[in-house]
Order: sequence, then structure tokens, then C-alpha cells
Amino acid sequence: MQQVLSHGRNRKRAVINYLSKYWTLYLMLSIPITYFIIFRYIPMTYIQIAFKKYSIIQNPWQMPWAKNNGFEYFIRAFSNRDFLYALRNTVMLNLLDLIIGFPAPIILALLLNELTFKRFKRFTQSVAYMPHFLSWIIISGLAKQLLAPSTGLVNIALNKLGFASIPFLTKPGHWVATYVFLGIWKNVGWNTIIYLAALTNINPELYEASAIDGAGRFQNIRYITLPGLRPTIVTLLILSLGHILGSEFDRPFALSNSLVSGVSNVISIFVYQYGVRGLQFSLTTAVGLFQSVISVFFLLGANAFAKKFGERGIW
Amino acid sequence: MHKNRVLIISFALLLMLAFVGSTIFAADPGFVDGRFTKTRKITVEIYDRSNPGGSPPEDNFYTDFIKKGLLEDHNIEVEFIPVPRWTEDEAINNLLAAGDAPDIAVTYSYPTIQAYANMGGVTDLAPYLEEYKTYLPDLWNLLGDTNIYYNRDPEEGTIWAIEAILFQNKRINTFVREDWLNKLGLDEPTTLEEFENMLRAFRDNAELLLGKDADKMVPYTTSFDVGWRNDHLITSFIPEDFSERDAYVYGFDDRHLLFPNYKEGVRKLNEWYNEGLIWQDFALYGAGDQTEDNMLKAGYVGAFMHNWDYPYRDGQEGIHANLKKLVGEDAAYIAVEPFKNDAGIYRKYLSAPVDRKIFFPSTNTEPLASLLYLNWVSKLENRSFLQIGEEGVSHAIQESGAVQALPVTGEKIMNSPQNIDYTITINGLDLGDPTLNSRSVALNYSGVDSRFIEKAYNITSNEARYGQNIQVGEIESEQGMGTVLSEKRNNLLVQSIVAKPNSFDSVWDRAFQDYLRSGGQAIINERAKKYDDSY
Repeated sequence: MQQVLSHGRNRKRAVINYLSKYWTLYLMLSIPITYFIIFRYIPMTYIQIAFKKYSIIQNPWQMPWAKNNGFEYFIRAFSNRDFLYALRNTVMLNLLDLIIGFPAPIILALLLNELTFKRFKRFTQSVAYMPHFLSWIIISGLAKQLLAPSTGLVNIALNKLGFASIPFLTKPGHWVATYVFLGIWKNVGWNTIIYLAALTNINPELYEASAIDGAGRFQNIRYITLPGLRPTIVTLLILSLGHILGSEFDRPFALSNSLVSGVSNVISIFVYQYGVRGLQFSLTTAVGLFQSVISVFFLLGANAFAKKFGERGIW
Repeated sequence: MHKNRVLIISFALLLMLAFVGSTIFAADPGFVDGRFTKTRKITVEIYDRSNPGGSPPEDNFYTDFIKKGLLEDHNIEVEFIPVPRWTEDEAINNLLAAGDAPDIAVTYSYPTIQAYANMGGVTDLAPYLEEYKTYLPDLWNLLGDTNIYYNRDPEEGTIWAIEAILFQNKRINTFVREDWLNKLGLDEPTTLEEFENMLRAFRDNAELLLGKDADKMVPYTTSFDVGWRNDHLITSFIPEDFSERDAYVYGFDDRHLLFPNYKEGVRKLNEWYNEGLIWQDFALYGAGDQTEDNMLKAGYVGAFMHNWDYPYRDGQEGIHANLKKLVGEDAAYIAVEPFKNDAGIYRKYLSAPVDRKIFFPSTNTEPLASLLYLNWVSKLENRSFLQIGEEGVSHAIQESGAVQALPVTGEKIMNSPQNIDYTITINGLDLGDPTLNSRSVALNYSGVDSRFIEKAYNITSNEARYGQNIQVGEIESEQGMGTVLSEKRNNLLVQSIVAKPNSFDSVWDRAFQDYLRSGGQAIINERAKKYDDSY
């Protein structure tokens, strides 16, 4: 009995000791936690809208349940052709972004890493970062100035050289290519930062040893640099797989036009059309919920997959 | 603990007092001789057009005039809430959904109001209009029973919105460059064929008309809003023999997409596009984009269709003034009337004389003060001051009594023609006397020769067919579909115009089927059924 009590007292003391030592850290942690509770968790009560008949004047607890056991709006979404197209387009554009856009910063980071003239390297890096700070609205303005079929600078130049205009923004196939390209242009520099940071962690002795063994540049990259980057690459890949069904709004919206709506209408634009403009909030909340659930599955799946292949995963 | 209990009890007592107090006030609204005894506060939506050289829409010379007047006459304090004009639908949706909508809200979209009304988000005006009718003589004088009861539900008797009056029921016009016609020795086109040949002449004489800028020549421009911007051409393909029932059943798209033979009008545009007569990049630019206006101002464009007075608007910042500055004194757009229908009539399809829809969100706690506001801005002396401004500054009075607009810059500038954004119950100049009105409208565009305005004014509604007020109650299938279908319509029209001529039919048919399947057909069916039930 005595022992148990003293044990309890000891534990209590240990906790107090611990807290008196580290309370500042917990205080700091409370800020992001409060943020998440207020801006992330409390709003989640509104997920109910997906299962209820939305009303502007009732709070979500009071709204009546939707038909079909609350699944009315999911059924409606999946029988809506616009939604199915939006789903297809979202997956298509995100996959292309992943396949083409994911390796781009790795390649750029490797290239930058090989530069020996430090000043030039830094200058190139800074220039490559710049587009990251432009909003998609500005980029779409630039794209129209440069790529419009008859008044765009690029097409004027092509015409002067005797070539026909390229419909960068007005034919669906070309538009997809332009969309992906502009995405890379905007983010490639910024995304190299994390790889360049990882590169500095690779032990320089490895390079010295390989130099003695007579390894060339490509062998260095193949056997030292890339394996050194592997954990970073895997982590980022898992995170981007989590976004495969996520969709940006400003990028497709700003770049889109009536001629390419067949490929540019993604889920976020569907939500904007039907929800924000068409007031069908229940329908679009259902779509948003579906999107989030699938994304979580992708994230979990990718993480499990990575662990199976001996990587650390993200948790 | 004890302290807390005391606090709670006193708080509850306070609440009760407040409640009792408010019920006492409700019995006696503190409204004596048309004036509140205690200042009431209301908020009013105002369009923000963010036009070059404009003033802040919520705080300027004219808002001060309104605020001062309402405070003096009724003891009502007014605050204006700016809402972007070109995205008003989205903006007002957001405000409503957030419960922040202004007490007096305005939109052109009735389905939006209906959707919110169904959720309980809109005040039923019927009982208030009945109760306070005696305080609202100017509102009734201006709008009449027609516009006030326009949206009354035939069964329930509810009124979710009253309709502002479209005083000059004017829509669009076809404009061509008068100086180009003169240079090429052409007459104003009076038939479709002449119009087409004129466009071809513009294209083929680019060197002569534009000199070193010849490669910038655009014989005809349009925008992504094909239905609005080509209406006179396209609707000239609609057969004259077209029943009132069909006009209602197929009339929910305000661009007339579902009227018979509309496709053939679009086919004509497709031909023009493929012949290089239409601006090749028109599809790229969205709402509110200035690219096309800049081309018009720079003088690269031969012809276009737009709002009936479009090139003459905005005074020194407008298209007319800029053309004179950048191209030459004789450069000007003039309205023409080349498109006849199968009966040889220059038919124009115009709406009933209704304009914006005014409604009170259910968050409005001051229905009387809000109605008094509407009455105040409907009073002739108030609204005519807003429309023509100060004598000697915004207008001069001619010997005939007609009012001539003067160019204004600085704080007394009007952000919209005749301040229509402030005179929310009326669109179009009204000085109280029809002859004075028509004379003054022509003089109301500073810096523009009145012959241009008179011509545009007459042509735009010449041989018009007006929409009728059909009250069959709510069409449920329209709910939430307005913007989705408009978007589909725009995409359909743009894609059809840009298609290769031999794939025009397949592009049109596929997109049109999609339009019908996505809700268009359901609306047609419901409208047909309700019409047949009621008439």
C-alpha cells in the first residue's frame, strides 16, 4: 500500500518535474493545436451537410436528413455526368503532374548540384525560384500574352518564321500540355530546395572514395547521390500521392476557357459551379467528402507500400 | 460559485428585460409622421464596376446625397456594401450563405432569390407591402402593381422580390465603323448579305484601313458570351411565327438558346469564324477582361454587337472618346440594323420591362426602413438628381429644357451611366416627361454627337417583341441550375463557332444534348406542364 502510494507520488512528481522543465514547449504547441481545433476540426461538423438537406438559416444539427438514408447527394453526384468528367479530368491532370512534374525538381537539383561555379549556381537557383511567388492569375495573364493564337508573342514569332500558330490554350490536347508545363515552370525551382538540402547531408567522403575508384559523374549520381536522396524522394512521393484526387482551384480556373472546358473542369471547378454559384451546397459537400476520403486511402496505401519496400514512410 | 450564480441570474434578467423591451418597441415602431424617432440603420448592396477613373462605389458624392437625404427625411442611417458587378451572383451567394447579406439586396438572377427563399433565407415582402403601402407612394408611382406584384406566387401569394423598372427597354445593337464605310465607299448594311460583304471588305482592305497595323485587323469581334454579343444576328434566324407558349416554355435561357432555328444563326458565325472574319482569340478571355475593349479603343475592329449604347459610355474613358483620340476625329461606331427574319422584319426579342430584382434577406430586421429607402430612391426629385447630377457640373439645361450631360472627372463622376447602380428601382433616364426624356437621353452621353445616340436608341428596340409576365409559380427544376446551364450554353456556343465547318453539326448536337440532359429538358417539361395547367 505504502509502496503504491509512493509510486503514485513519484510519478506525479516526475510529471510535475517534466512539465516545469518543458512547459514552454507545450505552450508553443498549444498555438498550432488551437489553430487546428478552431479552423480544422470545428468546421468538420459541417461535413453533415453532405448527408442533410442544406438550409441557409438552420445549423447543421437541425437540418433534415437527405433521402436514401442520407446518401441522396452521393447518388446524385455519381449520376451527374459533369461530376464524372470532373473526376476523370482531376485524376488525369494530377497523374500527368505527378509523372512529369515529380521528377523535374529532382533532375534540376542534380543539375544544380553538379555546377561548380558557386555564383552561377546561386543565381540560377534564385531565378528558378521566382515563378513560385507569382499567382496563377498573373501566370494566366502572361500565358495569354505569350500563347494566344493570333496575338500571343510566341505565335507571332512562329508566324514570322513561316510556321502556323500552335493552339497552346485553345485545343484540349495542347492545353493539357501547356497546363502541365506551366505547373512545372512555376514550381520546379521551389521544389528543388528540399532536394538540395538533402544533398548536403550526403557524406562527402563517399564522393572522395568514388573519385579514387575512378567513378565518373553519372556513376556518382547513380550510386551515391540518388540513393542518398531516396528517403526524401519517397516521402515526397507519398505526400503527392495523397493529392492525386485533390484539386487546385486557381490553376485550372485561371487557365481555362470555353474551348477546353472538356478537359479543364476539375472537381474544384465543379464544386464552384454547382456549390458557390448554383447553391447546391449539399451536393458539393458530398463531393468534397468523397474527395477527402479517397485521398486518405491513397495516402495510407502509399505509406504502407513504401514501408513494405523497406523505406521509413511518413510516420 | 455563489458569485457565478449571481452573474448568471442577473444576465438572464437582463436578457428578459431586453426581450420585453423589444416587444414593447415592436408594438410601437417609433414611427411618427414618416420618420423614425430613433435612428435605424440599414445596409444596401451597391455594384462595384471598378471602372477606370471611378470613385469608391460605397463612398462618394452620390452616396453622401442618399445618406443625407434618408437621415433627414426618415432618420435612417444607410451603409453601402460594394459587390463586384461582373461576379455579382457569386458575391451575393457568399454574403447570403455567410449571413452577411445587405438588408437591401439586388441581383439580376431570380432563381438565386428563389433558391434562398426555399431555404427560408428571404423575407416575404407581401405582408409588408400591404401594411406599409400608404408610406410608399413614390415606389408605387414608379413601379406600379405590374412590377411590384410581378413575382407574386399565384397560389401562396408570397412576393420574394420586386422588379425594378426597365424604363428604356433597350438591349443590344450592332455597331460598325462609320469612317471605314466612308473610306471604302460602302453604304450602311441593311441585309445580312450586305453585312457579310462589308466584313469581307474590311478584311480585304486592311492595308488601306489600318496601314502598318494591317495585321491587327479584326472585322468582327465577339466574346465568350456569344448569346448576348450576337443576339440580333442569331435571333434573325428565329421564325416569326412563334407562339407565346413556346416563348415562355423555351424562354428560360435569356440568350434565347432554345428558340427554334437558333442553331442556324450560330452556323453563320461558324462560317464567319472560319473565313477569318471573327477575332480568332475571342474564346480565351473571360468576363470583365479589357482586351477586347482595348482593341475597340485602338480602332482595330470593324463591327461588333453589344449593349445598345456600349461604345458611347464612360465619357472620356470610353470607346468613342478613345477612338477620336487614337484614330482621328471622324472615327466612330454607328448602330446599324441589317438582320431581318423570315418575315422580313427586323425583330428584336426584348424582356418584359423588368430589370434588377430587389429582395430583403431574412436577416433584414428593418423591413419598414428598407421599404422607405426604396421609396426614397424612387421619388422623382431624388432619382432624377442621381441620374443627371448637379446642374453646371454633370449636366446643362438646354433652351428646350432637355438635359445635356457634361463630362465629369473627380469626385462627382458617375460610376455607371445615369448612376443606375444607385437608382436601384429604375434603369433608364426618366425626368418625368416623355418628350423631355427622349431628347435628354440623346444628350446624356457627354462628348458624343447626339445623332449617334438617337440612332442607337431607335434601332435597338425597333420592331421588338416583348416578353410577357407569366405567373405559374415556382419551377423547381430551375433551382440551382441557372449558372450551370449558362456556363454550358456559353461553352456550347463558343465551341460550335470555333469548330471546323464540317464538324459544326456534331459539335453542336453533342453539346446541345448534354445541355438538355443536364437539366435543360427537365425545365422545359416542367414549364410546359405548369403553363398548360394555368392557361
